[in-house]
Amino acid sequence: MDETLTKDRTVRKSKNEKKMTWSLIKSQSQLIYMSVPLLAYIVLFAYVPIWGWTMAFQDYKPARSFSDQKWVGFKHFEFLFKDDSFLQVLRNTLAMSIINLILGFTTAIILALLLNEIKKVFWKRTVQTISYLPHFLSWIIVTGIVATSLASDGIVNDVLLKLNLIKEPIQWLSEGKYFWGIVGASHVWKEVGWNTIIYLAAMSAIDPALYEAADIDGASRYRKMLHITLPGIKPTIIILLIMSIGHILEAGFEVQYLLGNGLVVDWSQTIDIFVLKYGLAQGNYSLATAAGIFKTVVSVTMLLFANWMAKRLGEERLL
Amino acid sequence: MGGTSKTLFRLGTILLLSLSVILSGCSGGTKLSGNKNTPEQSAGENNGGKVEPFEISVFIGEAGQQPTPDNKIYKMIKEETGASFKFEFLAGDIDQKLGVMIAGSDYPDLMTGNTKLTTAGAYIPLEDLIEEHAPNLKKHYERYWNMMKDPNDGHIYILPNYGVLNGDPASNWYAGPAFWIQKAVLEDAGYPQVKTLDEYFDLIAKYKEKYPTIDGTPTIGFEILNYDWRNWGLFNAPQHLIGHPNNGGVVVKDGKAEIFADKDYAKRYYQKLNEMNAAGLVDKEAFTQNYDQYMAKISSGAVLGMFDQHWNFQTAEESLITQEKLERTYIGLPLVYDTSIRDHYKDRPALNLNNGFGISVNAKDPVKIIKLMDRLIEEDWQKILLWGIPDEDYYVNEEGRFMKTQEQRDNFNDGTWKLGNKADAWVKFAPKMEGYFSDGNSTDAAAQPEEFKAGLKPYDRQFLEAYGFDSPVDFFSEAPENDIAYPAWSIDLVDGSEAKIVNTKQNELSTKYLPKAILAKPSDFDKVWNEYVSEIGKLNIKAYEDRINEVLQWRTETWSVK
Repeated sequence: MDETLTKDRTVRKSKNEKKMTWSLIKSQSQLIYMSVPLLAYIVLFAYVPIWGWTMAFQDYKPARSFSDQKWVGFKHFEFLFKDDSFLQVLRNTLAMSIINLILGFTTAIILALLLNEIKKVFWKRTVQTISYLPHFLSWIIVTGIVATSLASDGIVNDVLLKLNLIKEPIQWLSEGKYFWGIVGASHVWKEVGWNTIIYLAAMSAIDPALYEAADIDGASRYRKMLHITLPGIKPTIIILLIMSIGHILEAGFEVQYLLGNGLVVDWSQTIDIFVLKYGLAQGNYSLATAAGIFKTVVSVTMLLFANWMAKRLGEERLL
Repeated sequence: MGGTSKTLFRLGTILLLSLSVILSGCSGGTKLSGNKNTPEQSAGENNGGKVEPFEISVFIGEAGQQPTPDNKIYKMIKEETGASFKFEFLAGDIDQKLGVMIAGSDYPDLMTGNTKLTTAGAYIPLEDLIEEHAPNLKKHYERYWNMMKDPNDGHIYILPNYGVLNGDPASNWYAGPAFWIQKAVLEDAGYPQVKTLDEYFDLIAKYKEKYPTIDGTPTIGFEILNYDWRNWGLFNAPQHLIGHPNNGGVVVKDGKAEIFADKDYAKRYYQKLNEMNAAGLVDKEAFTQNYDQYMAKISSGAVLGMFDQHWNFQTAEESLITQEKLERTYIGLPLVYDTSIRDHYKDRPALNLNNGFGISVNAKDPVKIIKLMDRLIEEDWQKILLWGIPDEDYYVNEEGRFMKTQEQRDNFNDGTWKLGNKADAWVKFAPKMEGYFSDGNSTDAAAQPEEFKAGLKPYDRQFLEAYGFDSPVDFFSEAPENDIAYPAWSIDLVDGSEAKIVNTKQNELSTKYLPKAILAKPSDFDKVWNEYVSEIGKLNIKAYEDRINEVLQWRTETWSVK
């Protein structure tokens, strides 16, 4: 059904390709009208704001007209890249982002695979509901929970002590080496159920006949997972991966800001916190914009790269 | 296969669109509810239609609650002057909110003071307006006129809410910085006089040894909070220990400011903390906890002492009072290094230029607003705003003194009651009388001496009697006259300037190295400290000190009362 439709469309397209006549426009006028709000929306909210990038090359002072601003060229970019801590901040951002990406993907897919194997609808629903509920909590609450459970009399230390795995409570939040892990784990706890939903949806679209055929061939559960379910959701995985790679420089802000402290600052500070400290809190909007541009450029490059890779590998692409 | 991604896309677009619709719906909703909360009254209620009703929109730069629509004080204001208020309280981050307001030049009529707004030119100059229309305000601020001028262009933008004093007001409640100690510790030691840091820690150590747990929780000897902008608990103590008042990050000697973070007298304090940590007195979680955890620990009654500003942990202390653990509430001690140093914790309230109301450039009728403020600063209104309605919120005894019954006192501590019966959101930031009314009563109910005594709980009365004091403030030496340029912490470092960047970096270094130094093995302390000092040495501290000194000098020159 799908295929015939596309074929039909291409045929028509080739017929009309050369002449863009008034009658054609007229006949499709309703379609054009319908797309106007969308186009306007995109222009207004996605392209007009790019104008604000000019701020990065000025010493921007609010509430002054454009012609009154002082142009300073690449000064703010220089400040960013010359600052000693910026490299460290970049490292932290990338590290935490990659940890989140990998953990987020693997845990969500594994949970989806496991849920897919549960045949009792009641249990499946229960597990799913419990696992996606944290998604609806805001980070400020989640970090509160995390900080409380990691306190010296918190549940984590309690359990470890009871199991005799440690002799003394560990100060989780005072050691830089634990910080990335804590952030990753918090992300998993909060988002794993939510991320699972889309994979479960993709799994439900897999033709049951494939499983039946595999059953007849005597495939085990793991074989079926490996050779039917996983390939079945591969396009979804790739698309989501491409989309997340675009956000590689957005390791988040709230978690690191709310859980960070003086002792772990070398591991916890991300670009966003740096920008808040030296940009927004100082009224230096130009610096904040410069950092934003840097992030955007990196993101777009990564996105295009991932997309190109997917194409080379003969996979589903985003663009 | 192709279908999946397209469906995904369509789904995404629909989601995006519906989200934008929902979001726009949300913002519309808040506006509506904001309107609803302003007391709307029919014009008929105004006295014979003489006053013309008008509404003033007010932005309050901190979190707060809307007064109830039938709040009795706002109703009175409306009846007499026609003015009603539409408050907008801060929700979320102040810098972000101000950024949005400034970017869109979207200002309400009145806004609380903030240097960001001043820099953006969001306030109108007030001096001519006051000269012309507001004789009472002019009189109120007369002695402070020069101080109110903006150091950058000499205009008056903000009407300060605190620090305009009528006489030397009695105070019974100390809000400022001190080394706090549980009353139980002093009681247990037989009410000793504590003057030095060493005595203080000895007391705590002994008490902790004697009572390793309090109500089942392990006793915490000394607590430190260093979280986000509440960082003074770790940073500010050294300047007080050498007998200087709170000047923020600098010590001012003979009119000259210098940072103290890397000085030897600072090292002495942190070394002491390092020893105390090794002795197990400092809370292990001190540097990882957030504000909520800190407050929770204090509320549990297990914390013996800490360095902090009283207002910062006031709610935790109130919770202790509610739990009737009065012996676990705190007394502030003005500690110094040795007894030859005179403590200077208590200071005279200084004019705070970063607080109070300014009229925005968007205000439709600044004259009306200034006239209203001029009317409300008059004594009859001040009594209503600060004390309430006679015989309803307080009573006047035979000697003409204002007093309260226990019920009235409880009301004044009840947040819900206040929303309907006090104009708190307005009073907090509006110009106000401080000190005494012309009849000799205190402007502030809590500062009325006999009222304070009458309100004391038996435990506290007994505690103070043991020391022979009238109020907890008597633990502190009398405050000497402030330097004209005091305090240095209110100096605007100017956003984006070298001075401000250096200050931010120095704070970052302190946040990083001081905990390290305190938690280090005592033998490693010197190593960490030297590293810290050398890191500070790499910063252009001079730019920061120069800015402070420049403003201090400017203040000394222009603020001197001629």
